[in-house]
Amino acid sequence: MQAGAGRALPGWAVMNPPPPAPAREPAWSLSREAIGLWTAQGVLGTVVYGLLVTAFWVFVPADAGWPVTLVRWAGPALVVVYGVVAIGFRPRLRYRVHRWEVTADAVYTLTGWLARTWTLVPVSRIQTVDVTRGVVQQVFGLASVAVLTASSQGTVRIPHLEADVARRVAEDLARRAELVRDEAT
Amino acid sequence: MSPPGEPVGRRTSAWVLVLHTVTFKQARGLVPIVLVVGAGRGLGDGPATVVALAAGITLLSLLWAALSWWRFSYADGPTSVVVTRGLLSRSVRTVPLDRIRGVEVEAPALHRLVGLVRVRIDAAAGQTLGKEEELVVDGVPRAEGDRLRARLLARRGPVGAPGDPDGAVPPPEPEEELTRFDLRWLRYAPLVGGYLAVPLAGVGALFRVLDELPERWRPDLGQPDVSGTTALALFLLAAAVVLVAGSVIGCAVVNWRFRLVRRGGSLVAVRGLVTRRHTELEIDRIRGWAVSAGLGMRLAGAARASALVTGLGDAARRGQLLPLGPRQTAWTLAARLVDDPGELRRHPPAARRRSVVRACVPGLVALLAGAVLGPLAGWWWLPAAGAVLAVLGVPLGLARYAALGHTAGPRSFAVRSGWLVQEHAVLQRRAVVGWQLRQSVVQRRGGLVTVLACVGAGRGGYAAVDMAAAEAAGFARAASGPWAATLEPPA
Repeated sequence: MQAGAGRALPGWAVMNPPPPAPAREPAWSLSREAIGLWTAQGVLGTVVYGLLVTAFWVFVPADAGWPVTLVRWAGPALVVVYGVVAIGFRPRLRYRVHRWEVTADAVYTLTGWLARTWTLVPVSRIQTVDVTRGVVQQVFGLASVAVLTASSQGTVRIPHLEADVARRVAEDLARRAELVRDEAT
Repeated sequence: MSPPGEPVGRRTSAWVLVLHTVTFKQARGLVPIVLVVGAGRGLGDGPATVVALAAGITLLSLLWAALSWWRFSYADGPTSVVVTRGLLSRSVRTVPLDRIRGVEVEAPALHRLVGLVRVRIDAAAGQTLGKEEELVVDGVPRAEGDRLRARLLARRGPVGAPGDPDGAVPPPEPEEELTRFDLRWLRYAPLVGGYLAVPLAGVGALFRVLDELPERWRPDLGQPDVSGTTALALFLLAAAVVLVAGSVIGCAVVNWRFRLVRRGGSLVAVRGLVTRRHTELEIDRIRGWAVSAGLGMRLAGAARASALVTGLGDAARRGQLLPLGPRQTAWTLAARLVDDPGELRRHPPAARRRSVVRACVPGLVALLAGAVLGPLAGWWWLPAAGAVLAVLGVPLGLARYAALGHTAGPRSFAVRSGWLVQEHAVLQRRAVVGWQLRQSVVQRRGGLVTVLACVGAGRGGYAAVDMAAAEAAGFARAASGPWAATLEPPA
């Protein structure tokens, strides 16, 4: 394996070199506001799960056998773990992983946090470009771009760009797709 | 504003009134309502009620069919097909001719009695492929159906070329027969899940009907008095005979006199005993093929072949090139459409490890859970079952790994996966509309990646599961075009 050729690696990495990524990293990162948005989503999720667990404590009688006891104590623990991960770790990790790029002939993204997904779609095969702004996104001034192709599985989604960046990207892609469009299937 | 040469709307034959009434086409929707109302008010239990109900439903059905028929018309103009229909709100659908992807002429048994056919026009418009994409002209004479098909698919060459406004049928082009269903292939039918389901569904329906019948009309079977073992053996034997016979009959009915011919720029498939179907695929739109075979079919050396065609609704049925046949026939046929890129490359040892581990995990979980719960609840069968499953996981994982492979040739590429149903898909380079690389945490540690080729045909995506991460970008570039070089990691 020619890992690390021509590049100095930290000591721990030489001992246990990280396996090379299957594809290049796209050039640009998302808006920093995305961290705030993902944190807000984590808070919302934690509140919803917390309410569910509270409802369970209030409405289910405690003396209904060992499964209920198990849920009564495991539920809050799981909510706490979820809260710590979804608020403390996941937003930052996601921000570090998420990248995007529009090259001369393709749209390219990397998404995920634990599992990763690289998606590449050539401009010549773009069918439609959508910009969506969710309720929470509007609070943070963000928008998502979805690039659709003839394949139901070949959709590129660039989440959480600044709203005007998203609009410009979508316009640019739609115009270029129109110019180079071949059969698109 | 109507252009000068606007075509006149044509009507379907009035015979469809009879056909739709006999088959309760429209009234079928009413039956549940009638049942609910009946249950609410209490139906008199007697033949009179049944007759009254039947008459009422028939009348309603006839009325409905008449209204629909009266309001329905279609017109095939020089550049588009227009279908007008709707009882209260008028709906006019206009489909440009260059959007039409396929035309299917089918002749169900009753239609054939009165010499009519049903024409399905497949008009894909991008993303959503569903029933709404289809125009159905139900109940035109056979000759009119053929004229319509020839007329709609006659348009070849650049859009906007002067059409033939008279709708004259072009002279028949020479045919070349590619396959013909051989009755000997019926012996594979009991090995195919889909055909086995036919007798099962039949038996299920029979039991449901028996359940619905009023008590006094049920046949009195009495209590069978045979000893337990004999009864069980007889029952199993009877079940096996029913399953085998049912699947063979089902397969024969669906694929009766299947023929695939090449006529000009199209592939034409004709098949069916009761309902005769006539499907036409444009060769220009074929992006690849898939040869698939279930476990039993592989043991018997059987396979099926289908074409992957862009924008084809109901692709699983319409794309079929060979519904069932010897593997060799399927391969020879498929390779005539798109070149086979050749021998597959195996996936790295890490893929074998991952496959075996994944196959063993359910058994191991059961074993662990059993080790805890067994002494507590006395479930001694749980750890035992877990151990057996975990051991069986090893050959299963190895078999799944053995199915994996991919390769890229000069004009096409291939991926293969699946154990229960193994699918070998070959696609043209131009078919790829995007690439998706997926890597889980385990895959990252093992240096593996799943590469999905997104295509606007067939299932929408075909994956090379667990290929070496270092090969992914090179494969994507070799299997599509220079644009995929964007993926290549910096040297």
